[in-house]
Amino acid sequence: MTRILRSTARSLTRRSVLGLLGAAPAAAALTSVGLRASRAKAATGQLNIYSWPDYFSTADLEAYAKKTGVTPNISTYDSDDTMFAKVNSPAGAGFDIVIPGSSWIKQLAAKGLLEEIDHGKLDLASLDPHLLNRDYDPGNKYSIPKDWGLLGVIYNPEAVGGEIKTWEDFFKAGEKPGVSGKIRMSDSGWETIGPELWLQGKDWNAVGEAEIRKAAERLKAFAKHVKSFSGLDANALANGSIVLAQTNQAKARAAIGLNPKLKWVVPGPWSELWVDNYVLIKDAPNLEQAYDFLAFQLRPEIQLAETEYIGFPAALNGLRDKLGADVKDADLIFGGKDVDFSKLTSFVVNPETVGFYSQLQTEIQAAAG
Amino acid sequence: MKPAVGRSAAGRFNLRHASAAQTADHFLAGIPTLWLAIFFLAPLGFTVVFSFGRSTFGGVALDFTFANYATALSGFYGAAFLRTLVFAATASGLCLLVAFPAAYFIARHTSRFRLLAITLILIPYFSSFLIRVMALTMLMSREGFLEMILNALHLHQGPLDLLDTQTAVFVGIVYAYLPIAVVPLVVVLDRIPKGLTEASRDLGATRWETFLLVTLPLSRPGIASAIMLTAVPMLGEMVIPKLLGGSRGVLMGQALSSQYLQAQNYPLGSAMAVLVLLGVAVIVGLLAWVTKGFAEVGR
Repeated sequence: MTRILRSTARSLTRRSVLGLLGAAPAAAALTSVGLRASRAKAATGQLNIYSWPDYFSTADLEAYAKKTGVTPNISTYDSDDTMFAKVNSPAGAGFDIVIPGSSWIKQLAAKGLLEEIDHGKLDLASLDPHLLNRDYDPGNKYSIPKDWGLLGVIYNPEAVGGEIKTWEDFFKAGEKPGVSGKIRMSDSGWETIGPELWLQGKDWNAVGEAEIRKAAERLKAFAKHVKSFSGLDANALANGSIVLAQTNQAKARAAIGLNPKLKWVVPGPWSELWVDNYVLIKDAPNLEQAYDFLAFQLRPEIQLAETEYIGFPAALNGLRDKLGADVKDADLIFGGKDVDFSKLTSFVVNPETVGFYSQLQTEIQAAAG
Repeated sequence: MKPAVGRSAAGRFNLRHASAAQTADHFLAGIPTLWLAIFFLAPLGFTVVFSFGRSTFGGVALDFTFANYATALSGFYGAAFLRTLVFAATASGLCLLVAFPAAYFIARHTSRFRLLAITLILIPYFSSFLIRVMALTMLMSREGFLEMILNALHLHQGPLDLLDTQTAVFVGIVYAYLPIAVVPLVVVLDRIPKGLTEASRDLGATRWETFLLVTLPLSRPGIASAIMLTAVPMLGEMVIPKLLGGSRGVLMGQALSSQYLQAQNYPLGSAMAVLVLLGVAVIVGLLAWVTKGFAEVGR
């Protein structure tokens, strides 16, 4: 660090002196040589992260900057689709760390966009085994879980008039007079069609076009009851303009904070577990810095702080018991007390079928209009 | 334009002077042309080429097939395309309906305060488009300001839930595009000589006849500009249907972006983009035809 500072200071003086003598171009040439030499010698001193917005605790980022002198440059995306399109383009080359959702990791790896993770440099033993070695990345060759979420349902028991336990209950409840027109569903094709596939006993990662189309028919018929496919506003649940909604546990926790009468459930027979993962980009310009940052992020105390900051659980094993007693509705952060991981499945994007899921989602949304 | 050439020394000097000025002009005009060529025409070229290719999931295999156009025009997407045209025409018409009286008032009745009036119209542009639309959700949601005010005035009873409806989308879109419809109308109405309307009244026309037979026909170029400036961007509108309409009743903008991003099908997305562009070209052509011969208005 001091070496960089010193060499920059030296080249600066040299430039000003030469500048005074009217030799500005020569000064510029000298500076660039000086900078390149110092960059080669010193640690990279930079880190480029591509992430969802507000996905790291500011306090933790400051702590990391204080420790290493490196403040990560964070650019953001608002959907996994945008993330994939950018990382899959020449514009993706400058990133070191990206946080894709579990569904896209297999495709990113298949396109040769990811760097294999050197497990000698990072110890994953402290992480929750439920989140490791999953379908989308066996052996965690390319990905390390950052945090995770569930697809579930939040509802107002008074309006719905009963308990929701399965996706069948969800669809049946949606047709009732006080519920129809007050429903929010996901804007992702596999999250709207998936529940019907599960009810038919099918695996959303193994079905073909015909099965997806058949399941989507029920959704197209159901669409007339749906009020919104846009992002869910917790206030809408609190004031009753939405009474039944597909969402994740963090949104549900926020809504229950506003209206404790609301209930959250992860319906059967199956539902979704998504995991946002750290990945390293192929030929990342600051690979060593990236490993250093990941090691920092995996420390138990940082995992705890990140969980409290973003409201989604980090991947640390036994995290629930480490949370302070003052954290409100702490169980909900983890999707409830009794989440059965054996009944959760993660979507894996398959180029053969993902187009159908998204095209049918467009048709479902059109049918609602 | 060819400058007049004199045989005298002064004439030759003028010629040289004029051609130097012309070179400078050409150079200055060249900068934006180059800018457009690089950042507009080149990507447009890619889009056109992609639209004839085959999708390789996040990539394109070059080919010459009309399959993408067939898909983009058939069944579902064809209907979405038509729905989008109707949507843009309706919203642009509503915008015009609200904008015309406002522009008429500014052009005719605000001699001293015109600058202030136009500034007030443009003030919304001081904040970001997204924030303005988000602010509308607070007005229109349940237990929002609109519900409060209407209940207080006894114009409405009980909860009012405008959010995530077609009404909300149209309210939002008229609000968002109103300023750009008002400005060209003010310019054109301001240029209509007062003498013409006075003459019309002197010759026995009523105020309404004067408006219909003199003012309205003469403001055609302003109306055309207002329609173009609102209808064209409305063809690709995505944000307002998403934030205020609950993403129901899909328009071309959403269908197109989902082909690019979710389905990673660039060729189909490109074919849709080319079709929307052709739609725009038709609108612009029609408007140019309607306002033909109007170059001299107000001179």
